[in-house]
Amino acid sequence: MEPLRRRARLLSGRLVARDTWWMEFDCPEIAAGALPGQFVMLGKGLGDPLTWMLPRPFSVGLTRPGGQVGILIRAYGEGSRALCRVREGDSLVMLGPLGRGFSTDQPAECVAGGVGLAPFIFLADWYRRHDLPVRLIYGERDGGAVFDPGFIARLTGCEPEIFTEDGSHGRRGRVLEALSRDSAANSLLMGCGPSGMLRALAEHAVRVGRRLEVSVEEHMGCGVGTCQGCVVRGAGGDWIKSCIAGPVFDAADLDWDRAGGR
Amino acid sequence: MIEQRVFGAWFRSPVLLASGTCGYGQEYADLIDLESLGGLVTKAVSLEPRPGNAPHRVAETAGGMVNAIGLENPGLAGFIATKLPWLRDNLSKAQVLVNVVGRSVDDYAAVVSGLDEEDGFLGYEINVSCPNVKGGTMFGTNPAALAELVRRIRGETDRPLIVKLTPNVADVGEFAMVCEEEGADGLSAINTFPGMVVDTASRRPLIGNRSGGVSGPAILPMGVHATWRARQCSSLPVIGVGGIRSALDAMQYIMAGACLVQVGTASFVDPMAAVRVSEGLAALVEAAPERSIGDLVGSLDDA
Repeated sequence: MEPLRRRARLLSGRLVARDTWWMEFDCPEIAAGALPGQFVMLGKGLGDPLTWMLPRPFSVGLTRPGGQVGILIRAYGEGSRALCRVREGDSLVMLGPLGRGFSTDQPAECVAGGVGLAPFIFLADWYRRHDLPVRLIYGERDGGAVFDPGFIARLTGCEPEIFTEDGSHGRRGRVLEALSRDSAANSLLMGCGPSGMLRALAEHAVRVGRRLEVSVEEHMGCGVGTCQGCVVRGAGGDWIKSCIAGPVFDAADLDWDRAGGR
Repeated sequence: MIEQRVFGAWFRSPVLLASGTCGYGQEYADLIDLESLGGLVTKAVSLEPRPGNAPHRVAETAGGMVNAIGLENPGLAGFIATKLPWLRDNLSKAQVLVNVVGRSVDDYAAVVSGLDEEDGFLGYEINVSCPNVKGGTMFGTNPAALAELVRRIRGETDRPLIVKLTPNVADVGEFAMVCEEEGADGLSAINTFPGMVVDTASRRPLIGNRSGGVSGPAILPMGVHATWRARQCSSLPVIGVGGIRSALDAMQYIMAGACLVQVGTASFVDPMAAVRVSEGLAALVEAAPERSIGDLVGSLDDA
């Protein structure tokens, strides 16, 4: 589907983890076309001359038949904080759906780090509606940042297996441990999260000979391929635009040794 | 009436998309009606393909952004094979300027001579001012080097030859004069300013290239000033570029002496930005006593 740019009214926003909001926008046309793993650019537009802000990419966190688009936003810096402060009833500008999403035709084992959970909320819900099995493994470095598990279960119908490095929630350790102990090798492995986690996941996939799809995150200017800002290193050594060739890639198509370039 | 004849061609609107912010046109074709604009300036084309810089390539700043893409492009042959056909086949009203970059005078000349017989574009915007590649600003900051470059390219083409000036000089006017003396047909003012963003957590530059070019609304007054200064020092038509978000921003450039303008970074915030600026300018011109964009160009009362 061709991307659309629409005003998206915030229907509800709730704090679901430390500094992290789940926001549902009314944006029926984008909701109707989005697929798991695709993203939208969310920003304030050019309407107000005093608020200059580049739009930011967010995974589509969920779509509902009523036309809602759910977005998971963690406030890292000034821009994401400004987006989190939007009040119910106010509108942002949404451009999407953008990019290439995950495969959705086979059983999946999804590994999420932090807000990397967002696309898998959508994917798990999609899988439930299409009667495909999905396993959701979710980790946080710091237990204080863990999402309310009830929130995830309500949206996805799927109980996530939670890992924290400090052991304060779920199992102590890292998400990869779930795979090494209990690996459903006939399912497609998927990952979204910090680059270190993705790299470890890619090494694991090579080691056990499983196919892995990853959703990468890079700084983006435009989201549609014009600025060439969001590149990742391809396995052939070339720079690939993550906004249009990704954000979801087959891990084998990326160069994990030189992913960051420096 | 916002239609004008400039560089021997009709521009149905004074608003173009700026180089580096619209790819090669095709990328925006689903989102905006390119034919409603005056045209676009392509991403830079060099003789050989360039891979571009390591990420991060972009970072947001207050009032703008820093970018260091590194002139990633498919090279002359790749541009002719994969980009130019789309422009030729899909744009008939919007004018296309090809942004040209090189490491040496020979590089620039080879790109221009290699393109000159092709169809699908009006002329060249010569990039002598990219801050993100080694030696990229040499031509733009050295009057003698710029003179040699413009003279050489002039010898390769009869098409419109527009030089995109860098603001990183003491007086843009001096460089405008050089371009006019050497036979350029126009000027674009301005390219980006060098800038740096520090990631205080890692104590590293946020941009992979360490530094990059600052664009966005923060540089609007510098661009307007450079336009005004270039028009004081030369009679060449000026394309105003830098920080335009609105029709009133564009009108500042026009009153300062620009006959055309380019919208760049604002397109990232709103892909429709250039179309909105164009529509807004039409309304402003309609409301002005002159009723014609050409009569508003350089209408600044700076006495």
